[in-house]
Amino acid sequence: MVSGPPPSDYFAIFGIEKKLALDLEDLQRRFYSNSREWHPDRHARASAQQLAWAEEASATLNDAWRVLRDPVARAEYVLKGEGFDIGEQRGKDVPPELLEEVFELNMALEEAREGDANAKSEVVRALAKFEGLLSEIDSERDTLFVEYDAASARDTLSRLRALLNRRKYLQNLVRDARATLA
Amino acid sequence: MAYSDKVVDHYNNPRNVGSLDKSRNDVGTGMVGAPECGDVMKLQIQVNSSTGVIEDAKFKTFGCGSAIASSSLATEWLKGKTVDEAMEIKNTDIVNELTLPPVKIHCSVLAEDAIKAAINDYRTKQGAGVSAETVSH
Repeated sequence: MVSGPPPSDYFAIFGIEKKLALDLEDLQRRFYSNSREWHPDRHARASAQQLAWAEEASATLNDAWRVLRDPVARAEYVLKGEGFDIGEQRGKDVPPELLEEVFELNMALEEAREGDANAKSEVVRALAKFEGLLSEIDSERDTLFVEYDAASARDTLSRLRALLNRRKYLQNLVRDARATLA
Repeated sequence: MAYSDKVVDHYNNPRNVGSLDKSRNDVGTGMVGAPECGDVMKLQIQVNSSTGVIEDAKFKTFGCGSAIASSSLATEWLKGKTVDEAMEIKNTDIVNELTLPPVKIHCSVLAEDAIKAAINDYRTKQGAGVSAETVSH
């Protein structure tokens, strides 16, 4: 039974400390157990106030589950909480050597759209390369997660944000490329 | 939000689309991008190294209409200017000429960045070329 107004913080609603590297199995167990606890059926004899708290807790828990189980959304949640502007992204975050490859991929995509068969195989090759880069970024992200959990350094968060910007850029590109091939 | 007539004109009839041989010593290449919209812009200049005058300029931009118009206009302005004069082109000049709305100002910034990057690349090559000649003597 809920005995007071539930927290609005996504980590607190799970009863865990703020951390970037999360044990997803543990998170899922907590999600199910908290969901059960706050279920309306369990509040049949509760006061109207307690029922309202339980509903509020459930709603926050659902939002928190959606955000925290996804590493990117989780990182953005923590960044936002620490005062980083998530929407603001600058061109600096894409290194020039990558820019060249992005340009080449765009060229190949344009030619593929115009029906050039050779260009299509070039897109496939470029796509594999960019997908490889994405998984490199993801393992770099996991390293930064552990680093932040250990020391809570602001500098780690800055690097994390730059990394996420790069990821977003690459992901848009990969999505466009896949759409062209489909 | 509607594009201005000049943007539409440059978008429908982009000037100087194409590429120059980037391995040439008298060609400077600028490649810039903006992750928020996924735009990538390549702008190249070919310079007469004895006069310093830009004799040809080409671009290829993947992006929105304003980004294409900004780089198209930039190549028009670059031809016939000296490298030093080209360095003076400001993004606000492009904004005024194309009457870009505030949300599209970053496109003109991208074009200015591309101009500067192309000039820097050309200057680096010239510098490197001189020292290479010196070494070979």
